[in-house]
Amino acid sequence: MLRAGFAEVEDCAGAEDAVLVRLLPGQAPGGALLRLLQAEEAPRDAPPPRVVEIPVRYGGAEGPDLAELAARAGLSEADAAALHGDAEYRVAYLGFQPGFAYLTGTPAVLAAPRLATPRARVPAGSLAIGGAYSGIYPSAAPGGWRIIGRTEQLLFDPLRDPPALLAPGDRVRFIPL
Amino acid sequence: MICLVQAAGMLDLVQDLGRPGYARFGVPQGGAADPGALIQANRLVGNPLQAAGLELTLRGPALAFPEGGIVALTGADMNAARDSGLAAPRYQTLWLHPGEVLRLGAVRDGCRAYLGVGGGIATEPVMQSRATFLAGGFGGFAGRPLRTGDRLPLGPPPFPPPYARLSLPAPENDPALRVIPGPQGPAFDDDALLHFYGGEFRVSALADRAGLRLEGPRLRAPGGGEGPSQALLPGAVQVPPDGRPIVLAWDGPVTGGYPVIAGVISADLPRLAQLAPGDRISFRAVSLEEARAAWQARLAQWEAQLEWL
Repeated sequence: MLRAGFAEVEDCAGAEDAVLVRLLPGQAPGGALLRLLQAEEAPRDAPPPRVVEIPVRYGGAEGPDLAELAARAGLSEADAAALHGDAEYRVAYLGFQPGFAYLTGTPAVLAAPRLATPRARVPAGSLAIGGAYSGIYPSAAPGGWRIIGRTEQLLFDPLRDPPALLAPGDRVRFIPL
Repeated sequence: MICLVQAAGMLDLVQDLGRPGYARFGVPQGGAADPGALIQANRLVGNPLQAAGLELTLRGPALAFPEGGIVALTGADMNAARDSGLAAPRYQTLWLHPGEVLRLGAVRDGCRAYLGVGGGIATEPVMQSRATFLAGGFGGFAGRPLRTGDRLPLGPPPFPPPYARLSLPAPENDPALRVIPGPQGPAFDDDALLHFYGGEFRVSALADRAGLRLEGPRLRAPGGGEGPSQALLPGAVQVPPDGRPIVLAWDGPVTGGYPVIAGVISADLPRLAQLAPGDRISFRAVSLEEARAAWQARLAQWEAQLEWL
């Protein structure tokens, strides 16, 4: 939308079921912007989604919560990893920390509530499940998601353009190692 | 030209006006907490308004200028002193002699001071900005606060050397922060709204560039304080399940799931920059039209500070 060149727009971001459009201070939304926001359908000229493949090692020391999630689903650890790795994911939005993508598409049996007490430090590259979302921590941070694996793929690099590996709308496939 | 950090302050950050346009990658705009104060400092030293300066929090540094420099202090008063013995008033261009040291102390009132430096601080921009983003560890000077011994690169000084003076900012006569209702505002019950708009809050010790956690009346959040994740802005007042509101600030998260009861209007966001732990605040609802008029009034107020150039 920024690229569509609305002079009054400073930034925009989406999340679960709403889009936030940040106007320059003191500005009111123009008619063209209001019409776009009130349109029932997305514009049809959106480019086809990119597919991003991310190699992941599931389980073990790098995925300490996989065993518990597997047991809860009545699966072996290997089957749970295969189930997660076979699904296709879509980037719903980014947030929490730079480059952190909320991915929809987690198989329902693997969905899991967050830890009651978050870990003080989740290592960078950790693949984790929070509720129905999957996500990868781009850098080490405190976190309450269930960690099921790890990737060495760089998710965020401020010196790269664009800085984040993933953007809203992208499809993601995990390649189990 | 360089500026040498002889003794670092409590939290000295290189800041400019931030990096809008990256929220969709999870990166907040950030930048100077009080952009008006940084802009005024830049005007006083003859810089473009978006040049990078220093944001100093609660206690300032001692800075040496081996080749001299043109500087200006704005925002909170940190009892600045010059080695030469000359006065170092705020809101005025200061010409420092070669080798001179500018010493700042503890803040007298408020929280953040700004230092504009002629030529601007010339660290490498990251994502089109020199703003320090601490949580991401990038921007500014190596993505971190300044330390004793750091050498800050400065851009070429403006020529001819500028000289200007601004009047001190007018004191705020309205003690309340003005807000508009947040996206979940109408979902809060009458009791919560009464306490939010009628109560007095205190800024807790958990107050930084990401957000200010408030103490005071507990507010009952709709849905137990958990809802669908939504995009957020500085000034958003979130109410987590414990009922203690958090005012998101400049480096706050760009998405979150706590219900947002209200949003501080753009004109009053710079006032958040001067709130320190222990300060008392309250909230007053205004309409969108009043919020836009207040922004115009804020711009006019900044313009009217100019005494002479």
